[in-house]
Amino acid sequence: MSLRVENITKRFGVKHALRGVTLEARDGEFVVLLGPSGCGKSTLLRIIAGLEEPDEGTVLLGGKDITRIEPRRRDVAMVFQGYALYPHMTVARNIGYPLRVRKRPSSEISAEVERVGARLGLTHLLGNLPKQLSGGERQRVALARAIIRHPQAFLMDEPLSNLDSRLRVDMRAELKHLQHELSVVTIYVTHDQVEAMTLGSRIAILKDGLLQQYGTPSEVYRRPANLFVAGFVGSPSMNLLPGVIESGSFRRAGLSVALHPEQLALIGARRQITFGIRPEDIDFSATAQPDYTPARVWVTEDLGNETLIRLALDDTHLILRAPAGARADFGTPAWFRIRPEKIHWFDSRTTEAIK
Amino acid sequence: MKTPAKYVAALLALAFALAPIYWLITISLKREIDQFASPPLWFAFTPTFSHYTAIFAHEAFGRYFLNSIVVSTCSTLIALVLGLPAAYGLARFPWPRDWSRSISFWILSNRMLPPIVTIIPLFLMLRQIHLLNSLTGLILVDVALNLPFVVWMMRGFVEELPREIEEAAMLDGESRVGVLLRIVLPLVRPGLAATAVFCLIVAWNEFLFALILSQTESAMTLPVGIAAHVTQYEIQWGAMSAAGVVAMLPVLIFAAAAQRYFVRGLSLGALKG
Repeated sequence: MSLRVENITKRFGVKHALRGVTLEARDGEFVVLLGPSGCGKSTLLRIIAGLEEPDEGTVLLGGKDITRIEPRRRDVAMVFQGYALYPHMTVARNIGYPLRVRKRPSSEISAEVERVGARLGLTHLLGNLPKQLSGGERQRVALARAIIRHPQAFLMDEPLSNLDSRLRVDMRAELKHLQHELSVVTIYVTHDQVEAMTLGSRIAILKDGLLQQYGTPSEVYRRPANLFVAGFVGSPSMNLLPGVIESGSFRRAGLSVALHPEQLALIGARRQITFGIRPEDIDFSATAQPDYTPARVWVTEDLGNETLIRLALDDTHLILRAPAGARADFGTPAWFRIRPEKIHWFDSRTTEAIK
Repeated sequence: MKTPAKYVAALLALAFALAPIYWLITISLKREIDQFASPPLWFAFTPTFSHYTAIFAHEAFGRYFLNSIVVSTCSTLIALVLGLPAAYGLARFPWPRDWSRSISFWILSNRMLPPIVTIIPLFLMLRQIHLLNSLTGLILVDVALNLPFVVWMMRGFVEELPREIEEAAMLDGESRVGVLLRIVLPLVRPGLAATAVFCLIVAWNEFLFALILSQTESAMTLPVGIAAHVTQYEIQWGAMSAAGVVAMLPVLIFAAAAQRYFVRGLSLGALKG
């Protein structure tokens, strides 16, 4: 079943939480809402759940308008950041709760609880209370409670953010696999761009209540729509250097890049330009080479499988990804080359990408 | 503070608090002739249970006792049943600006009114609906007395609950009333117990309204019944003290039984984690 929000606007007092957000998730799709805190992503999720009412706009589930329908009649399941387990009920009663509310026969409920519990590896914990469980186990109980009644849509509000980092990586994979098996449309909120990239079939990036870009992980990574998306997606982030166009070149302190005629045509009459380059699109050399620009090493981070090198470039830094074992000590001279075909151009005034 | 000093301080506070109770108990056990001996007979007196046998022999005493139990339990139950939904609504429904706080405070402010102020209107109102000298009338008045406190206390307890749990229940298919009964009620039980103890004590000890609004024996409660031992001709110290001791017991037993909840209820946030 597909899920669509149209032109959603929500104000809290005078503050706009969402401004005219429209997006659609296809049947079975895993859509991630990504953005910094306060961008409106949780509000959008709560509007889809029915926990908040939008000031304008509609929510459509399978083509049916559910904007003014009570949460309990929407047939969507939600997993909360704090898990929101019922503290006074055992794991089995927590998982079976949605079926008990629907007054299913108790034999059916216990069979379903067994089945879903086994699927999520909770069989030995069914008699425990939530406070006796670890964070990861609580997370599984919350998932079990969400899937037991076969809802039309899953809503997840930062469900992994309370787990420690190793567990988070495992649960992430498990969640993705589970969602694939169930094939139910899922909206997932996070502020963690790695989570968004790894989980989402499409990512919607929000800032200040406005949808910035909606696309597959590789689309938002390769073709960020504006400066915000360019800086937010990717770790370490894209190098963004403001400068000006002068006599066919991009110039700023410490850097000058000659432009191809077609690039110049694209830029047109704009003068204030921001130049963007991903760390992996800069070549590094410890020795002088033709076409390479000299700089000094500011700091080196050896990650084992690769090395991140930050070069001091006049008043700013340039971060680049070098192969594992690249030698670069504090303050030593270094050379770099920007791959011209990988440069992203942004209009500094509008912050939009120049395409 | 050092530990011995702490104990000394605690003992002093305890002695101060328990002195009247000690006095009450000893007088209830003393013969009339020993009651006002000077210097007082602290421990060495001939104990007698005659005052106790006397009050129980007096059939009205049992009646007062029963009346007190009926009035305090009924009024407490009604106040809780009415107060919890009100508190839930104030805590959870979307109120404009700070209306929730203002309304709650206005409700509590009814409790700040000196009770004597309302006694004449209450008397006239109850007379109008023929509920003077009836337990029903006293129950109604005690509900009015306790309800503001229940609303104020329970609103605090409900606000302490994580909202997410209720939202999860609603998305699981639960109605508002279902959330209140099956999720909120079990979770605020410690707070509810603490509030109930307080209401019971207030209703059990309530004197002023009972004195004015129920003057017949059939609807008299214990505090009024005890005070009746002060007559025009004499004050029956022994019988009065014995009745006082007996009147104290139910509240003590109840408070002790509910102590576990009481402590948890007063230490808010016991449900987190």
